[in-house]
Amino acid sequence: MANGLQVVVLPSRRAPIVTQVLVYKVGSADEVFGHTGVAHFLEHMMFKGTDRVASGEFSRIVSRNGGRDNAYTTFDSTGYHQTVAPDRLELVMRMEADRMTGLRITERELISERQVVLEERRSRTDNVPAALLDEAAREQLFGRHKPYGMPVIGYADDIKKLNITELMAFYRRFYIPGNAVLIVAGDATPEAVRKLAEKHYGPIPARKVEARRRPTQGGADLPQRVSRADARVVEPSWSCDWLAPSYRVGETKYAHALQVLARLFGGSETSRLWRSLVIDSKLALSASAGYSPASLGLTSFEIGVHPAPSRSVAEIETAVNREMKKLTDGGVTADEVERAQNQLLAGAIYAQDSLASGPRLYGAMLSTGGTMADIDAWPDRIAAVTPADVVAAAQLVWRDSGAVISLLSPAEGNR
Amino acid sequence: MTHSLRRGALAMLAAVLAWLPAAVAEAIDIKEVTTPLGIKVWLVEDKSAPVVALSFSFAGGTASDPNGQSGVTNLMARLLTDGAGPLDAQAFRRRQEDAAASLGFGASLDRLSGTLRVLSANRDEGFELLRLALVQPRFDADMVEQRRAQTIARLNQAEQRPQSVAGRTLMTTLFAGHPYANDPEGTREDLKTLTPARLKQRAATLLVRSGLIVSAVGDIGEAELARQLDRTFGGLVVGTVPPLPPEWKPPTKPRTIVVERPVPQSTALMALPGIARDDPDWYSAVVMNHVLGGGGQQSRLFNEVREKRGLAYGVSSGLRTYKRAALLVVSTASANERVAEAIRIIRAELARMRTEGVTEQELADAKTYLSGALALSLDSSSSVASLMHSLQVDGLSPDHLVRREALIAAVKLDSVRRVARRLLRDETMTTVVVGKPVGVVSDSKE
Repeated sequence: MANGLQVVVLPSRRAPIVTQVLVYKVGSADEVFGHTGVAHFLEHMMFKGTDRVASGEFSRIVSRNGGRDNAYTTFDSTGYHQTVAPDRLELVMRMEADRMTGLRITERELISERQVVLEERRSRTDNVPAALLDEAAREQLFGRHKPYGMPVIGYADDIKKLNITELMAFYRRFYIPGNAVLIVAGDATPEAVRKLAEKHYGPIPARKVEARRRPTQGGADLPQRVSRADARVVEPSWSCDWLAPSYRVGETKYAHALQVLARLFGGSETSRLWRSLVIDSKLALSASAGYSPASLGLTSFEIGVHPAPSRSVAEIETAVNREMKKLTDGGVTADEVERAQNQLLAGAIYAQDSLASGPRLYGAMLSTGGTMADIDAWPDRIAAVTPADVVAAAQLVWRDSGAVISLLSPAEGNR
Repeated sequence: MTHSLRRGALAMLAAVLAWLPAAVAEAIDIKEVTTPLGIKVWLVEDKSAPVVALSFSFAGGTASDPNGQSGVTNLMARLLTDGAGPLDAQAFRRRQEDAAASLGFGASLDRLSGTLRVLSANRDEGFELLRLALVQPRFDADMVEQRRAQTIARLNQAEQRPQSVAGRTLMTTLFAGHPYANDPEGTREDLKTLTPARLKQRAATLLVRSGLIVSAVGDIGEAELARQLDRTFGGLVVGTVPPLPPEWKPPTKPRTIVVERPVPQSTALMALPGIARDDPDWYSAVVMNHVLGGGGQQSRLFNEVREKRGLAYGVSSGLRTYKRAALLVVSTASANERVAEAIRIIRAELARMRTEGVTEQELADAKTYLSGALALSLDSSSSVASLMHSLQVDGLSPDHLVRREALIAAVKLDSVRRVARRLLRDETMTTVVVGKPVGVVSDSKE
């Protein structure tokens, strides 16, 4: 659109429903230390009303019209979504456009919502030993007080200090049409969506969008270990994270090979890691690998293992290293690469079968610098990955330097 | 499957991906089909995606685990996809992956359920794998050991999570002496005694055609579905449905149980006897629950506990139904110092609902939401299959989606007040709090 808003329509007549997602290209990685949690706190406050819609009314109106709504914040994006009957699409577009510029925040509501956010942090993090360890591991991997090294929800001390001035400054700086993507999926035609978008989002004036910056380096260049011995833990877990290129930053040409690598090395119960650690040596109860390339900055490649009872961490590490070495020295077969490719592509077909996952995928890609062409080309790019690419990607990412090992264990005497 | 075939599959997948966005679906139109073998199935034919999704279940679940064999149904269900017929676990899983078929089983208190999702081009292979899993499961000793160890680890992990501890404590308290009190995953002691022979025996008892319920959605016609189902389930004996668990006697006095855990936030569950799915006041109870704490951000509990006071991130209420029991459960989590206040507010809201019922406006809003909300859950083949399956389990007819509109429209202020007075009674409330709550104490020992 003329004001810079990008509009994507994903028509499907599976059910008489339509989903609107408005994704802003801003997330917690756009924050600075001492002021963490702004992006997420603002997401909460976006439900507190405008001149036209009273506080808390947004969701009530959606519900009263037979719909559902919610919102989410990630490192790189903040999304607001509603699912409604097709004849209510205009209603939610009008309200979403209204709160792009019309947000009002009162002190009283800020104080009450601060408690809600702190309770959310307790539920997700402070009550959960594994989440606390993950916070510490990210600090090591991406750098203390650096983007991606700080939690999306923010540190409790920062949440306690956040004020209206900061929230509104963040809002005015990032909530602008040129910094947003509107995705409409379901029972709607591109023509109808264009008309409605022009009517409701069109009048919002264009404003200059700042370039977003992300570090091109991680936290440390030496291997790090973080551990947490916690009285609340009964089952130990071990994981290792490496800094990895995303679609945008680093050796981006490996982003597709790394997806194939994660799949064949630890993406299922027929993967190398599972077969070796769970089936053959019985060292572990489960073993997996994971990699998500949709990031505006660097991302991570993770291996996670749940040790079998009475197995030591040293045994696990030796076994994982052996499997990694086997892959980087001995290569991978064309057959296992092809299986992994098939699984990835089938996953994409099933994602197309769901109205929920389509917008999620497009939102994640388009808010991290990806284009529609990138999304269309994904199956071909995955299919083009060769065994040699997979090995090269593994050699690139599995370097000793920059690896962070996390160990979660019961406090002494607990087991 | 040979190498060259998989190459073909890859090309097919890429072609399908390019075609999908332009697909056109038909509305939800449920057909009731009876196969030549007499299997009754609900079908929604839908070509909007090249996918077939199946949702099915057998009568009898974890509540009918034999004495001393708790966890046997759950472990058996888990192992059905871990090798069958000539295929060991790895070979079976590879066949699934090559066909991009996902096949899974799970057990609830009352039923043993399964799902199959497969690309329609690979449906022969998908149904064949399902047939093998049902008719010739192997229960190889090494897989039994692996799944047993994982189950025990899961039980340990559940003890780490305040929500799980609260949920388990609620069930053991409400259903003391009744099979519903048992952990569906079993006890560590019982799990250790389960042998492949016992698992096999359990499969033979539960996997029978009487009591079988099947729903199918997707790119498959009536005749083809009937043929596939008879081939898939035809190898099972007709058998008999296992007996129901005994009747449940709901609590008649209030209870509070605190489970100490070293966490900054306490999880609280408050449960009352609920309402059966076939009760004439069911939809009045659904409306009442929606206004009270169901459906998200518009409810009274959300408003009073979260919006006005910032006492919790999540607070909600829900109706749960089982074959022999029904519950209304309110859940929340709040800092240890504030959880007592949250519980006090929730109790006050239950009391207000009991005495005042809902307003005209709340009734109207709830009706619009409930009428529209059903469509919101029809967002994938699997979710449509799962919805149809739950209607079948509840004994409803295929035209229920149409009749439901009228039933919701018929709810009146009076009927909501009646059901609120019937359900929301302090004297039957069981409260469980897990954490280090300040100002909440367990009842003294009886």
